[in-house]
Amino acid sequence: MKKTGFLYDERYQLHNTGNFHPEMPQRLKAIYKGIKDAGILNIVSLIPAVHADQSWIKTVHDLNYILRFEEACLSGMTDFDCPDNIMGPETYEVAMLATGGIIDIAARIMKGEIDNAFCAVRPPGHHAEKNKAMGFCYFNNIAIVARYLQIKWGIARVGIVDFDVHHGNGTQHIFEQDPTVFYYSIHQHPSFAYPGTGREFEEGTLAGMGFTKNSPVLPGGGDTEYKRLLERDLFPAFDTFKPQIILVSAGFDAHEDDNMSDIRLTTQAFSWIMKRIVEMADKYSDGRLISLLEGGYSIKRLPELAKDHMNVLMNG
Amino acid sequence: MFVSRSMIRKVITIDKNIDILDAQEKMAENQIRHLPVVEGENHLIGVVTDRDIRSALPYSIFKKSDCSKARKKVTSLTVGDIMTEKPFYLSPMDTIQDAILLIEQKRVGAFPVVDENDKLVGIISVRDLLRAFSNVLGLGEPGTLICIIIDEKIGQLKKIVDIITEEKIGFGSVLVARYWEEGKRAVFPYLLTNNVSRVKRRLKDMGYVLLDPMQWYIDQLPGNE
Repeated sequence: MKKTGFLYDERYQLHNTGNFHPEMPQRLKAIYKGIKDAGILNIVSLIPAVHADQSWIKTVHDLNYILRFEEACLSGMTDFDCPDNIMGPETYEVAMLATGGIIDIAARIMKGEIDNAFCAVRPPGHHAEKNKAMGFCYFNNIAIVARYLQIKWGIARVGIVDFDVHHGNGTQHIFEQDPTVFYYSIHQHPSFAYPGTGREFEEGTLAGMGFTKNSPVLPGGGDTEYKRLLERDLFPAFDTFKPQIILVSAGFDAHEDDNMSDIRLTTQAFSWIMKRIVEMADKYSDGRLISLLEGGYSIKRLPELAKDHMNVLMNG
Repeated sequence: MFVSRSMIRKVITIDKNIDILDAQEKMAENQIRHLPVVEGENHLIGVVTDRDIRSALPYSIFKKSDCSKARKKVTSLTVGDIMTEKPFYLSPMDTIQDAILLIEQKRVGAFPVVDENDKLVGIISVRDLLRAFSNVLGLGEPGTLICIIIDEKIGQLKKIVDIITEEKIGFGSVLVARYWEEGKRAVFPYLLTNNVSRVKRRLKDMGYVLLDPMQWYIDQLPGNE
């Protein structure tokens, strides 16, 4: 059994998105409840959030953007950069705690304190561009932690798997010219889903050509299509790339009961996907793996999805 | 909507006395397939396409594109010999709709654009029209497309727009397409948001039919029905 960390902090609920927003604090309550009720909390290391050092955020976002976000939040603005990004007075601080918590998890993994971890954070990150908040995301958590691992711990090759039902445009754009970070995403086809990127022919640019891979899935697709595409696109690519750590943008919105998409994955399929990713981490990365929460809006299904996710991380 | 807005202004042109192999090279260098032929003060006298050149060359010569000396011996044809004379052209004040219909009708890939003083001022190709259409579709702007089937009667669109506006969602574009069923239209609002579940639910509650994405189309060729 692995030493698995669970990053969770009540303060992540303070990012207030109003009454009607799908990216709501109850998501985390549901996740926490699922894990707690399964009796897993006694086995895993429950790790609270810490504040991020701004210098790590600057490895991905322009200082100007960080200050603009802080300023917007302090001045009481209720959204930032686009109407999707509803925010409250605590949002900037919570975003700093999300990124900071994940960086702390990365440090613990590199020190050998834990093998892997699930970070149940808000706000999510994979849509956030270098200079623009969008799709409920402010800081691109996964991109920042990838840079942290490279700079602080000398990791040469970072493998990112993004199974959120929406394409992680921010993450892709940040690394598209970079051959040291492989970005793989499987998502609903961009002609039918936000944000309209992540087509099969987007494969990276310049030196990063061949280090981005996208598997778009047509509406109505489910377990069979996901398994087929992951076997075809992800596993062979990581076999060649051999990541020294695997980072996962874990969005649970491809679930059949999640109304944010037309994809119909079953709860079992999420476990299968995660199992295969854990196997890859065992094979190439000494088991090092960090999973970060992105989307996933079915309050009914999040408890079981989170519980299974943790179980796979602990037991493979 | 005018051709002048979408046409390429820096037109690469050619003289009618140029060897067709040089014309072919010019096209390859610039990654284009149409060269307007001009004389005097940018006066349009013809158009030559890569297809005209390929048809004029024996196949073996066309294939061996590297031995240019051998190629030159085989042909002494000039652009003037093979060009389409008095080609059809558009005016800068023709519209994009004119261009789309004419490109279909004349079965060509591009039209030269000539102004009232008989001067070549631009060229507009299928690619330029596609760029305009991609802009209309909102490609490149983050958002979500949905499709609603409405009855073809006055006021339907207003209700939809009202609901979307109440949800504080911005529009990237709205396409209204003919639907196969008589008296119905397919409306495609491109919504600048990741957050469509609520608006979809509200539309359904209002009695609108949201079409299954696998059934969407904005074009259906005759015979594909």
